Order: sequence, then C-alpha cells, then structure tokens
Amino acid sequence: MIQDTPLDRFLIRSAGTLLGLLWVVPLGYAVWAAIHPPAFEARFDLTAPLTLANFISAWDQAPFARYFLNTILLVGVILSAQLILCTLAAFAFARLEFPGKSILFTLILMQLLVMPDILLIENYRTMRNLGLVDTILAIGLPYFASGFAIFLLRQTFMTIPKELDEAALIEGCSLLGLLWRVYVPLGKPAMLAFGLVSVSHHWNNFLWPLIITNSVETRPLTVGLSIFATTDSGTSWAVINAATLMTSAPLLLGFFLFQRQFVQSFMRAGIK
Amino acid sequence: MKLRNVFFASSAIAALATGASATDLEFYFPVAVGGAAADTIQALTEEYMANNADVKIDAIYTGSYADTTTKAITAVRGGNAPQLIISLSTDMFTFIDEDMIVAWDDFVTEEEQTDWIGGFYPAFMANSQTEGKTWGIPFQRSTPVLYWNKEAFKAAGLNPEEGPKNWAEMVEMGKALTVKDDAGNVTQWGVHIPSSGFPSWLWTGIVAGNGGKLADDTGTQVTFNSDAAVGALEALVALSATDEVMAPGILDWGGTPKAFFDGQAAMIWTTTGNLTNVRTNAPFDFGVGFLPGLQQNGAPTGGGNFYLLKGSSDEELQGAADFVKWVTAPEQAAKWTIATGYVAPRPDVWDTETMKAYTADFPQALVARDQLEYAVPELSTFEGPKVTQLLNSALESAITGQTEPKAALDGAQAAAEAILKPYY
Repeated sequence: MIQDTPLDRFLIRSAGTLLGLLWVVPLGYAVWAAIHPPAFEARFDLTAPLTLANFISAWDQAPFARYFLNTILLVGVILSAQLILCTLAAFAFARLEFPGKSILFTLILMQLLVMPDILLIENYRTMRNLGLVDTILAIGLPYFASGFAIFLLRQTFMTIPKELDEAALIEGCSLLGLLWRVYVPLGKPAMLAFGLVSVSHHWNNFLWPLIITNSVETRPLTVGLSIFATTDSGTSWAVINAATLMTSAPLLLGFFLFQRQFVQSFMRAGIK
Repeated sequence: MKLRNVFFASSAIAALATGASATDLEFYFPVAVGGAAADTIQALTEEYMANNADVKIDAIYTGSYADTTTKAITAVRGGNAPQLIISLSTDMFTFIDEDMIVAWDDFVTEEEQTDWIGGFYPAFMANSQTEGKTWGIPFQRSTPVLYWNKEAFKAAGLNPEEGPKNWAEMVEMGKALTVKDDAGNVTQWGVHIPSSGFPSWLWTGIVAGNGGKLADDTGTQVTFNSDAAVGALEALVALSATDEVMAPGILDWGGTPKAFFDGQAAMIWTTTGNLTNVRTNAPFDFGVGFLPGLQQNGAPTGGGNFYLLKGSSDEELQGAADFVKWVTAPEQAAKWTIATGYVAPRPDVWDTETMKAYTADFPQALVARDQLEYAVPELSTFEGPKVTQLLNSALESAITGQTEPKAALDGAQAAAEAILKPYY
C-alpha cells in the first residue's frame, strides 16, 4: 500500500474542510435567520437579540404537528413495506431459480432508469381508480417496490456463502427460516443504509405528495412548508428558516446521534 | 387480470358516487400573498355553504400558482378534475391549448352576460376573453404601483406628498434620494424595480408607458423588439448603468418590501397585492402612485382568474359557476380586497359601504383602481410559459449587461416567432 505523504493528508483534509464548510453555510444562515428578529435577516451583528418568536409564529401559521405526524406515518409505512417486499424479492432473485428470472430482474433494474416524475399522471390515474386520492397510502404506494432496494439487497445476499444455506437446511431450517435466521441478520448493514436513503428521500419528497394530497390530514411537511414562500407579500426569511429548521430537525438530530452507525453501514453496504 | 377488474369496478363505483350527489364540488386555489388570505377564502366558502345547504364545496389551498397549475393539469389528465380552479390569467391560452377548460358562456343567462360578465373592468377582461368567449372570471387580480417613502422624501428635500409623475421625474427624484456614506457605498437607493424570476411583468408596464404593446389578443403574435419596447428596456438598464439610481444586477421580488421597510430603497415598484402588507409593516408614512411612464401612463394587470375545468357534469359546473357569481358579488369581493389588497375587479364593489369606509381611511387603495384605465394585459400567448421564459431571459441578460437591449429583444422575438408559428 502506498503511504500518504503529509502533503496528501493536508490536501485531503483541506478539501474535506472546504466541502464541509460549503455544506454548513446555508444551514448556518438558516439558524442565524431563525433565532434573530426579522430585522437581522441580512445584518450580521453578534449583539443582535436572540428570539424564539419566529418558531412560534411559524408553528402558529400552519398545523405543523399534524404535518409531522403525516410525514412520520408516511416514511414509516414506506420503509416497512419496502423492507418486507424488497427483502423477499431480493432473496428470490439471489437464491431461487424460476422461469423468467433474468427478464424480471432486468425489468426491475429498468425502474432505476425511469424518472418517477414521468409517471406522475399514470400514478395519479391508478390512485384514482383505487379510490386512494388524498390518502397517505397513495403517497407511498408507488414507492413500495423499490428497484434500488431489490438490487442492493440482492447484491448483498449474493455475497453470503452458500455453505451457510446448506448448513441451515441440514439443520432443518425452512426457506423462510433461512431468510430470517441467516440472510436478514447478515444483510442488516445494507438494510440500514437503504433505510437512511429511503427515509431522507421521502421526508423531503415534494412533487408527488403535492399532487396527490388535498387536505391537512394527509399533507406531509414539505407540502405544508411550501405555503410560506409567497412572493407577492414579500418573503419573511426569518419565519421560513424557522419552519425549515423545525421540519428538518428530526432528520438532522437522528443523523448526528447515529452518525457512526450510518457511516459504518454505508461502508459495509458498499455505497460510499 | 383480477386486479384490473377490481380497478374498473372501483372506478365505476366512484363514478356512480359522484353522479349521485351532483353538487359535491372541488375547488383548487393558490394564494400568492401569504397564508392568512387562504383563511379568507375558506371563510367565504363556508358562508356560501351555510346559505346553500345542497352544495358542498371542498376548497383546497394549493400553495403557489405554479403548484396549483401542476396539480390541476395532473388531475385533469388523471380523470379527476376539480370543477373550479384559480390560476394565472395568463394561463388562458395554455389551458385552451390543453383543452382543459370550458367557457363560462354556457353557464350564465343572457342577462348575466351583460350584468355580471359585462360588469368587470375591461382591463381585467382583456386576459380573460378570446375568440368571442369568456374563459376566465377575474378574482385575485393585481396591478403594480409605485410606493414611496415619505420620510426619505422629506430628508432629501422633496415634497413628501407628491410621487414622480413620469419617468424623467422618477430619475431626477431618484438622484436626490440615492444616499452614499463617507466611503462612497450606497446606503439608500432611489428606485427599486425587482427583476428576479419574471422581469417581463413590470417591463410590460414600462413598454405600455412608452406607447408599445407586446402581444395581440389572439395569443399568436408578439412584438418584443418594437421601438417602444427597445426604448423601454434601454431606460430600465440605464437606471443602474448611467443614472445610478438603482442597485445594479437582478433585484429580488420577495425582498422588495423588505428593502423598502429597511430604508434600502426610497421608491419601489411592486404589486398592489402587497398593499396590506406594506400598510401593516412599513415603519414610516408611505405614498402610492401610478407607475411613472416614459411618455404616458401604463401598467400591466396580473394575478388570477377563476376557470371552469372540463371533466364534470354540466350540473356540477353550473354549481361551481353559481358559487363564483356569489363570491365576486360586491359584498364578498369587498371583503377579499380589504383582506389582501388585490384590486376589486368590478366598479360596483367600490360603491359598497364597506369599500367606501375602507378607502376613506386608506385612500392609497384607490390608486390601483384609477390606474386600471391605463392598464394593458399581462403578456399571454399560446405556449405561454415558453414564450414568457424567452422574454425573461432576454431581459435578464440585458439587465445584467451581457447583451445590448436591442440585440437581446431581437433574439427573443425571433425565437418566439418560431415557437408561435404553428398557431397563426
């Protein structure tokens, strides 16, 4: 292995710091604008008075508690459906033989190539025919069979030594038992990594939820948040930033708390 | 196969269900002036339902205009169109082209044709009628006006009660109002004409003030590079480049009221949709006046119209039309105008006691109404979003100094003609 020279290390660290700074600047501004009165939106004065009024005002302007509940339900439903469906599918593609296997797998991979936005109208029509317009289920349903999850888990399952299968089968394990006792525990890092991607994607998804929901009872945070950006009456950056911080806080907190685990599972799952 | 049958069966049931209660209506509305205005629409809808027990209207707040249009187009294509939406008046040709709206004419009596549809200001109907039919009913309509800071005028030795009457006066006052600190940095600009996102709107007003017009009423012909248009763009560019009364570069729309409140700009151009906001938040006395024209008065109209969407039974559409007749009636329209600052779209609204009391206390609200006499329609053509985008890019490149005004507009004209060719 080639040794890092001090210069290499310096370059890598400074590039990392630069990227980190670039990423944190907007977040830093959001925090600044959110905890100061609107008069200090664009004036950076260290002695500016601190206030929580922006958070209160944002909270009062929209039913955020309900939006939080909707979003949490939404990502929960999507993630559990994805994990169950995609684990089963990935196991079948990795270990079972059945006619049409490679064609089916190619079809699933094609899902990765199609932008979901092209399917908006077709998805809307399906939801309407199912009578699901304006339900949380309708926001999640199109994402249940995730091609990415199936692919990722299949690749992980393929790397598991077949000897383990044989050992388990000799011990009298059923097929589902094999999946549950051998594949699921060994596939956990990949599942965790996928879970993070899925949760953050659906927490932030906007266009499809906007189109398919009509009421406060079903709208997720992103759609609820969009009402703050009203150009005609002037944008109140302080309140918008307070609302944005509130809505992204759970994700940020979760990431900071479980940072080590996330990074490790990404390394192990091969998504770097 | 079985699953598909379930789909069809459930869609048949859904169709039956909507057929049974003919007056279950859906109504999408955007609000560009903040969440509180949405409550006013909800309250009006509920009042209507309380008086008409057989009608149920589901008023669905859909955020910005762009979000509303996206939602509406998807719902129409998905076979689940709401009966009624509010969308930009300039969307008319796009909606006709998409074949997604029906004309109002079939849902009004002959009497209402003259009394009701004929009762709106002609300036607002210009973007609502084509081919002899009425496609939109004006509701949240606005027009830009000039707001000036009376205290800044006093400080600069100007008469605080008189705003600029024409472009030359605006430039002259702007020079007096532009304040620099000792280091030579500007602390207060004379004028602020926002140009982010859709500079074409305010520029349409400058062109009208220069005696020009950007499009005809068929939506197929544009004249972006007429002498009046080029002159208007040169004047706008000169504000920063040679007159030095306006901050250079693209100025943000959303930040405009803020720049006014903070004293960074002594005169701003912005929509009357902001009137209530400025009234509540400006920490000083302010005046409101017509847009100062290069040769004459001129301003665009803007904002949203009611549209009836295809895909529902005639009875449902009639129910929706009746609701719109009620909500645009003087008393209701007056409430809406007072809550938001949008221009009441009919002369009879201004005659109500409610409006009279309001304008007696707040005469600035009358300026927008009086300016309607000089108003021209906002740019609206077939392939509207594409054509407008072309023009906006051309204006931005001239404002930022990348292209000469004439060259930028020539380019936009040629590109727009190519897009509109199939529609002649």
